Amino acid sequence: MTNHMNHTFHMVNQSPWPLIGAMGAMITLTGTIKWFHQYEQTLMSIGMITMIMTTIQWWRDITREGTYQGLHTSKVTKGLRWGMILFITSEVFFFVSFFWAFFHSSLSPTNELGSMWPPTGIQVFNPLQIPLLNTAILLSSGVTITWAHHSILENNYNQGLQGLFMTVILGLYFTALQAYEYMESPFTIADSVYGATFFVATGFHGLHVIIGTTFLITCLMRHLTLHFSSNHHMGFEAAAWYWHFVDVVWLFLYISIYWWGS
Amino acid sequence: MPSLAVMASKKEVPQELSTAPFDPRFPNQNQTRYCWQSYVDYHRCRKLKGEDYAPCDYFRKCYESLCPFAWVEKWDTQREENRFPGKI
Repeated sequence: MTNHMNHTFHMVNQSPWPLIGAMGAMITLTGTIKWFHQYEQTLMSIGMITMIMTTIQWWRDITREGTYQGLHTSKVTKGLRWGMILFITSEVFFFVSFFWAFFHSSLSPTNELGSMWPPTGIQVFNPLQIPLLNTAILLSSGVTITWAHHSILENNYNQGLQGLFMTVILGLYFTALQAYEYMESPFTIADSVYGATFFVATGFHGLHVIIGTTFLITCLMRHLTLHFSSNHHMGFEAAAWYWHFVDVVWLFLYISIYWWGS
Repeated sequence: MPSLAVMASKKEVPQELSTAPFDPRFPNQNQTRYCWQSYVDYHRCRKLKGEDYAPCDYFRKCYESLCPFAWVEKWDTQREENRFPGKI
């Protein structure tokens, strides 16, 4: 493959990752079902390791193609942006479904719940304690990532690094607090539709925070190896969009489930 | 045409039939909530006014008309075992 082309498109090379990734996904799925039925995690672990190794190496290849081989022309980058926009849109609808389930159950609570929300016997979290702190943490992380973005736009390496580092720390702090909150929870996922909607919605949000933090750590490491400049940082922008999305989902979770729902 | 005496003998004893009246709090075809609220109100009323307070029976008549027997049996058991979800 050479860079000598008479067009602006990126003709991709043969790659093992789509096939291996697909096999990893299938093994993870099968392994998870096996875990549910037989309490045996080996196959699931093999699948997840395969998937993690595939994503690491696939995206490593993409950063090489973009940053070192210069294959990400402005036209290609436009396609990447649209891909990220469509992906985040699909994620929005993923969360819409959990909010739908929540409002379906809470706006007109069935008599089995005592016709009230939170249901009889459910002790809920105080929304003004850890959840409010978490709201402040995520809002601050939105500030720090914007700081990092503007620093990168101005080729300010040090402040870009500091902004990214702070954002990652705030993301990890949020995850730690959510983990603590889960451990202290007076209700479980099996405690009525309250527990089900609460843990499915906040749990998937937590998973997305972990994914977003991983994305930001990847950006941090790429920044440390000088991948980003004022006109080459699409990966960082994608991470920032994703992080803002996770932030907005939390605001909706906080307002509706933690606050209104208590 | 039968005689008046025969017609009179076939006359049924007048029986008073009644059901729960329309309650604008529960305007839907599904009357589950009306049933449930009447059950809760009946027991709340008796707790507040004493078991011999006759007006409470209004709520009992409502839930007896509206609720499936199985539900009432289930809720009675739940109340006995102190695990009924409604506030009484």
